[in-house]
Amino acid sequence: MAELGKSGSLQLKALTKHYGTFTAVENVDLEIQSGEFLTLLGPSGSGKTTLLMMMAGFQDITSGDILLDGRSIAAMPAEKRNFGMVFQGYALFPHMTVRDNIAYPLSVRKRPKAEIDARVGEMMELVRLGDFAHRLPKELSGGQQQRVALARALCFAPPVLLLDEPLGALDKNLRTEVQAQLKDIHHRIGTTFVYVTHDQEEALSMSDRIVIMRNGHIEQLGTPTALYQQPTTRFAASFLGKSNFLHRDGAVYALRPEKIDLAAAGHGQGANKVAGIVQSVTYFGSVLKYQVEVLGMGLIEVDVDAWRGGAPLPEHSPVDLTWADNAAVRLNDQS
Amino acid sequence: MHDKQFMRESLLQGAQAFQAGKMGRRSFLALCGMAGFASASVLAGRAEAAAGEIVMWNWGGQSEECHTSAIGNAFTAETGIPLKFDTSGPLQGKIKEMVDSGNVTADVCDGDLFDAVALGKTGHLEPIDYTVVDKAKTIDGYALEFGVSIILYGYAFMYDTQTYPDGAPSTWADFFDTTKFPGTRSLYKWANGSLEAALMADGVAKDALYPLDMDRALAKIKAIKADTIYWGSGAEAQQMIVNGEVSMGMVWQNRGRSIENDTNGRYKLVTNQAIAMPGAYIVPKGNPGGAAVMKFIATAQSVQAQLDLFACLGMTPTNPEAIAALAEADQPYSITSAANLPNVVMNDPTWWGENTDAAVNAFLAAIS
Amino acid sequence: MSALPRHVLNTGWILVLPFLVLVVALFLGPIVNILWLSVSEPTPGLGNYAKLFTSDSLGRIIGTTVRICVISTAISVALGYSIAYAMVHAADASRNKMLGLLLMSFWISVLVRTFSWLMLLGRNGVVNNGLEALGIISQPISFMRNELGVLIGMVHYMVPYAVLPILASMQSIDGRVVQASRSLGATGAQTFWRVYLPLTRAGIVAASLLVFIINLGFYVVPAVLGGGKVLMVAEYISVQVLVTLQWGTAAMLAALMLFGVLALLFLMSRFMKLSTVFGGGKA
Repeated sequence: MAELGKSGSLQLKALTKHYGTFTAVENVDLEIQSGEFLTLLGPSGSGKTTLLMMMAGFQDITSGDILLDGRSIAAMPAEKRNFGMVFQGYALFPHMTVRDNIAYPLSVRKRPKAEIDARVGEMMELVRLGDFAHRLPKELSGGQQQRVALARALCFAPPVLLLDEPLGALDKNLRTEVQAQLKDIHHRIGTTFVYVTHDQEEALSMSDRIVIMRNGHIEQLGTPTALYQQPTTRFAASFLGKSNFLHRDGAVYALRPEKIDLAAAGHGQGANKVAGIVQSVTYFGSVLKYQVEVLGMGLIEVDVDAWRGGAPLPEHSPVDLTWADNAAVRLNDQS
Repeated sequence: MHDKQFMRESLLQGAQAFQAGKMGRRSFLALCGMAGFASASVLAGRAEAAAGEIVMWNWGGQSEECHTSAIGNAFTAETGIPLKFDTSGPLQGKIKEMVDSGNVTADVCDGDLFDAVALGKTGHLEPIDYTVVDKAKTIDGYALEFGVSIILYGYAFMYDTQTYPDGAPSTWADFFDTTKFPGTRSLYKWANGSLEAALMADGVAKDALYPLDMDRALAKIKAIKADTIYWGSGAEAQQMIVNGEVSMGMVWQNRGRSIENDTNGRYKLVTNQAIAMPGAYIVPKGNPGGAAVMKFIATAQSVQAQLDLFACLGMTPTNPEAIAALAEADQPYSITSAANLPNVVMNDPTWWGENTDAAVNAFLAAIS
Repeated sequence: MSALPRHVLNTGWILVLPFLVLVVALFLGPIVNILWLSVSEPTPGLGNYAKLFTSDSLGRIIGTTVRICVISTAISVALGYSIAYAMVHAADASRNKMLGLLLMSFWISVLVRTFSWLMLLGRNGVVNNGLEALGIISQPISFMRNELGVLIGMVHYMVPYAVLPILASMQSIDGRVVQASRSLGATGAQTFWRVYLPLTRAGIVAASLLVFIINLGFYVVPAVLGGGKVLMVAEYISVQVLVTLQWGTAAMLAALMLFGVLALLFLMSRFMKLSTVFGGGKA
């Protein structure tokens, strides 16, 4: 696929949004690189959607600034920003066919018919919707509707594509498939994607970088690997993946369950070793999840690859837990 | 009508059975619920006529009070029969519907004498019993087989003294002359009176009006259509004048005095060439009160009753003795007083009884 | 196949059966009676219907009625649309106030409204007197007692009826669809004409049908505000029933209105599902 248009970079400067006395977004600074797939991840109420809506131009900003390629767009109305947007629930035009939905951004720009036809054809091919041109949205499945929404948002070659929980309405199997398609399309067209979700797997699997949002501010920003391996707060460590928290010398450490080795009592070997009693063990196919009671540390979760070793250790077995020095990450939180 | 009555009767029986403990509470409520839709229209209806009382069907407003004081009290004192009212207005169509449905609930209607001609012919009325009612106590020719005139009202016009300070209009010819007397005027929209006025304006002598020359009358009406608005009720006619919508307006003559008062004399009544209309009492076929209603009509013919009606409603008496007994100050407002009589037209109820449908529809076609 | 009767005679039908019988007796009965009158009075045959083609005045009355109803419907729906739009976009508190005012207007009788208009816009009304006092006009403007007066009175009465179905259809629009249009580069006007208006079409059709059909039956307003010169079918029917006793003509016109309305519904049903117009579920 030919290049669709120039992708753009976004800069958020001290962006703040108040609703009356409630602060939805507080003093957010963020640079989104051109061509990047950036995900805003957080629980509901964390401010991620408000942030996206301010970028789209559907929310006034209380203070701060938004720059597109260095120029302020804070005062620009939504329709002038030229951002593509995929909405939660897709927001397709129910009275228009698939073709007319996709052609809409071009036809409101009064482009020549030949150009529109060519471009719409290209987009339908991109999202593999060729056979559905004359159907109405209600005649499509959820996944197909999602693809129409994507094609419509990309049709006019926007420099930035904003996606607001676009997979929320799909079932789990389909979601994984669509994640791969989205990632693939992003690769092919190179447009900047800003993606809002509360689903950590989506964030991890697709993003170049992830912003973890909490209570209106950025909790932590980084690549998926960096965030997973080096969380800086309890919140980041527990929202992205699972974590045990250890308290040592007045500091808090995050220790991922899969980084702990578990062995029958007396067989553990490693720099850090504690003894405990198995409280429960659950089989998940690829992993065995143990909960181990350790004196002075409480319940520790341990994931063990199920294919290693033999039968699971039964409840009440005494075990040794060991982990490497660099497995426990010191957090900024106070103990 | 039959089904309404059926519904009401089932309800009454149901209520009695319920009280007597023969019907369960639920069944009774179900019956009420089923009837609810129908009963609303049944119960909000008319005064119920029954043997032993007389129901008068009139037009509401002051007439209920006036008919009670002028006729009802004397009638009840003499016969012991109470008088009740249905004030929904006895239009011909409603009388016909009532008689056709077989559910006659009124004994005497305050109608027009031409109604007596029209509905008498079609068998919807009881004949007047002239052994009880006195033909001599009304105007010659206004005691017909199916109705007798009790009072007269009429069509006259009023004009704005401020619009026409030099030279007031005094004839229908003036009324129809929009060059000499510019300004908006009003006419009655159901043809009656308006046609006679137009013909007189066009030069037809008042004694040669009937049978009405419809084409000639309508041509005259149409000629001033652009300057005319039309009213359908006395209240509307009065309002058009009081609100200053018209410079000249046709009114029911009996309202003239109160309009002069309401406008502090700004508008004046012209009774010259007024058309006197015989209002009549007519009896629907199969009236529930029976023959006693004739006694009621006879009571309404008495001099005292007629003078009271004049005082209360402004309706002119038909009993010659009553006309003679009117006070001097009341003479101008009595359409058939000695002073007015030479100048007024007496409406021909027979022509109207036979031609109302054609006349009204032709009139409507002309003005709309 | 033996299961079929159970479907037909399930308990729901048994429960509504008494009411169905009542509806048939109280509603269909009179309609059949009207239809019968229209072909039997004064003589059996289609003579009453033939009058439609032979009588100029009947044609004119029907023409006047349709013309006034169409104009009044168009204005009422346009105004109703604007009001509904303002209500949808108002804050909750003021929307409730507006709705309260709107519903309150249903309680004002048509007679009171009619005479209020005369007070306000009549020859000697507040407006004319005011304009004359200000020297803007020298002759009173004829707002009332003509077709304009009838339209003012009818539109005023019908606007609330137009608002409600339109309001309902506007409230059912997903706000994100409008946002989507804007995000795709459409101006406010483009968004309105290409997205908002088509999505409220069912509401507009419902409002138009409702207003038009109620308009057909208007009687007091044209009779009073038309100054007698604007004769519409309802008043004409009333005169034929009450004054001229031509019940056959009246029944024929009533039947004609009934068929007209049914034909209108049928035509409309060919363009869209009536259930969507009347809010019976989304198609």
